[in-house]
Amino acid sequence: MKYQVVIAGIGGQGAVFLVKVLSIAASLNDQKCLGTENHGMSQRGGQVSCYVKVGDFYSPAIDQGQADLLIALEGNEALRNIQYLKRDGGTIIVNADENFPKTEYETIKIDAFSKAKNREFPIQALNVYMLGVTLARDSHFPFSQENIEEAIRVMNPKVAEQNIGVLHLAIKDAKGIV
Amino acid sequence: MKDILMGNDAIALALIHAGVDMVSGYPGTPSSEILGNFQKYKTKFGVEAYAQWATNEKVGFEVAYAGAIAGKKTCATMKQVGLNVASDALMSASYIGLKGAMLLISADDPGFHSSQTEQDSRSFAKFAKIPVLDPATPAEAYNMVKLGIKISEKFETIVMLRPVMRVCHAREICDVDDKLDFKPNTGEFKRDIPRFAAVPPAGRFRQGLEQFERLELIKEFNWSEFIKPQIKNLNKSKILCLTSGTGHGYVKECVGEMNIKADILKFDMPYPLPKEKIEALFEHYEKVIVFEETYPCIEEQLSSPKLYGKLNGTVHKIDEFSKDKVLNAFVNAKVVESSDNYKNAKYDKELPVRPPNLCPGCPHRDIYYSIMKVFKKKKSIYPSDIGCYTLGLNQGAIDTVLCMGGAVSMASGFSIADPNKTVVATLGDSTFMHSGVSPLINAVYQNHKFILLIMDNSTTAMTGRQTTPQRSNPGTIDIKKLVEGCGVECHEYIYEPNLDKTISFLKMLQKKYEEATGPVVAVMREFCILDKERSSAMLPRIYAKVDEDKCVACDICTTQYKCPPMHYNENHKIEIDPFLCVGCSACIDDLCPTGAFEKVEESVK
Ligand code: SF4
Ligand code: SF4
Repeated sequence: MKYQVVIAGIGGQGAVFLVKVLSIAASLNDQKCLGTENHGMSQRGGQVSCYVKVGDFYSPAIDQGQADLLIALEGNEALRNIQYLKRDGGTIIVNADENFPKTEYETIKIDAFSKAKNREFPIQALNVYMLGVTLARDSHFPFSQENIEEAIRVMNPKVAEQNIGVLHLAIKDAKGIV
Repeated sequence: MKDILMGNDAIALALIHAGVDMVSGYPGTPSSEILGNFQKYKTKFGVEAYAQWATNEKVGFEVAYAGAIAGKKTCATMKQVGLNVASDALMSASYIGLKGAMLLISADDPGFHSSQTEQDSRSFAKFAKIPVLDPATPAEAYNMVKLGIKISEKFETIVMLRPVMRVCHAREICDVDDKLDFKPNTGEFKRDIPRFAAVPPAGRFRQGLEQFERLELIKEFNWSEFIKPQIKNLNKSKILCLTSGTGHGYVKECVGEMNIKADILKFDMPYPLPKEKIEALFEHYEKVIVFEETYPCIEEQLSSPKLYGKLNGTVHKIDEFSKDKVLNAFVNAKVVESSDNYKNAKYDKELPVRPPNLCPGCPHRDIYYSIMKVFKKKKSIYPSDIGCYTLGLNQGAIDTVLCMGGAVSMASGFSIADPNKTVVATLGDSTFMHSGVSPLINAVYQNHKFILLIMDNSTTAMTGRQTTPQRSNPGTIDIKKLVEGCGVECHEYIYEPNLDKTISFLKMLQKKYEEATGPVVAVMREFCILDKERSSAMLPRIYAKVDEDKCVACDICTTQYKCPPMHYNENHKIEIDPFLCVGCSACIDDLCPTGAFEKVEESVK
């Protein structure tokens, strides 16, 4: 099995956290995994993208046309990275409202910002929320919900239950969207 | 034991596992987490070790090197441009060698992700005549640290480890030692004046000859340890790829995915190479292509009409590798037909750019905004330096960025060359300590007239907030005292999120400058938003919003101040992103000419 994920967002949204969770999940499954992050000089508010490659890979970088999945914590950052998706069969999971343009890729969009503004979950957990949406909607995603929950616990037991709560909320929300 | 580690974490753990007990360095992306993680492991395992940030890379190198000639196992960490600073010491140390062991870690940044040059430390190792190991992944970096220490001990030479950003910041499941068998090595300096204080010409000439002999032995070692075991995999096709470090991963994946018939020979130690033995391997092949980041370090050590690489234009010369670039090289060498396998269309409409910017609420933004208000562009020159504050470029308040400490000496140069303009130089506290003091002394004793703002946030912010000398020694080491010690008055401004106040302070400096005959220096006492220890007390947590009725879309806030939360909404009025705003309150009172900025009563945070 080989699965390549691009995670895109803005500095401070916690894209790197997702790389950690996915690498832990892979290791719990005894799968090979390479991850890396790209960020420019800004510490906050700049473009960030991360790569996770599960399976037999030797280089952490992802080329254009290769990724199975793009998880985007913000709409424009999704569009900025779509060239990394496979030309056929790439999936986008994006935090965006109804204005997100149509692309040739299967797209699951959810307006997580509005939900955070309505205080349905804390904005700091946007990354975990989008991971929940991914679990609910990407049928090829190589990790199970139990798998991800365990990885979240391994990563930081102190805040794990709170994060898992957000994960559950996202899974519930994501099942409801079309 | 299996552990998921970031490259810099794997390196730090390997240092402990290799018994290194003196680590000294200066932060620089992508190397910075190595020393920090070493400190973390040191505490976790309760081992006795020295691990400290030095004031600059040269100092860091020299501390570690002295440790190594006194018999300890040591390490110096830095980024590739930091190696330039340490190079004076390295060049000489390479002649002298050592008694214990020393690993010099110089992390490269192919693709200029956060560096002003793309220089290849392997080529520097070649210039300095020391062996270099080039890991391809975090797991390899772990092993190579341990190996590097052994090689250093065996040959009494400094060994370089050259991880690139894609190793330092990659994460991988690594196989690491279960048990820690850490014995601090007792140092004992044994006097050997002809060696450690060799006098030119005879003393150094002799050491120069020894250096050549040593290199021959290391070449043999390179052959038997790293190259020979791979020979059994060769002679299976007509194309041979020579790879090193990360270049290897890209080639291996591309060759596999594109079904290219080619053998791969990986150089774990790209310098020094046993040239003749390697060239003898070419006999069976039609073409030999070299894939390496970023300079032709391997390529320049070999010669053969079969050789393809950067020197004959087969492989790209600048920028990071990608599989597409590897594939292109195969196409250029006429091994395969061209293919668009690694290409895909970008989004075809314009997307709002997010140029690198200071964090929301960063005090540096206020300083640069105020500089632009007080010192008009036509009549000023703004040299700056290396740090977060380089992002003041966004506000038009920076004209030059050269190297660490360059702002001060360049301010001198500009003041001589173009005396009709006011030179307003900016640099950070850590940069000032690193290499800003000697140019300030130079400016004072030669009476160079300029304004220097030392933007002191008491941390090395851009590289992840490492401690600075004054932070760990409050009251003892202080920028104001240092400046005064250089022979000039030091004005002091305690930052507040109050633009009018900051502007008034700069106007006061402007007056001083008019009367001055030498440099006018001020230390701006700031804080870094991400430095929780200090910022939590200093951030007022008063969040901003904009009254749409008052906003006339004049652009002042988004062109002169540029705090990331500020953007136009669909009504073409400014809106503040409530998730990005940190509540510094600086924009609320004095920024907007129509007073459209207001306090938020209840924040979403
Ligand atoms: S990291 Fe600190 S110093 Fe750097 S831009 Fe952000 S707030 Fe400013
Ligand atoms: S209060 Fe204003 S200046 Fe401060 S972070 Fe928020 S938007 Fe930026």
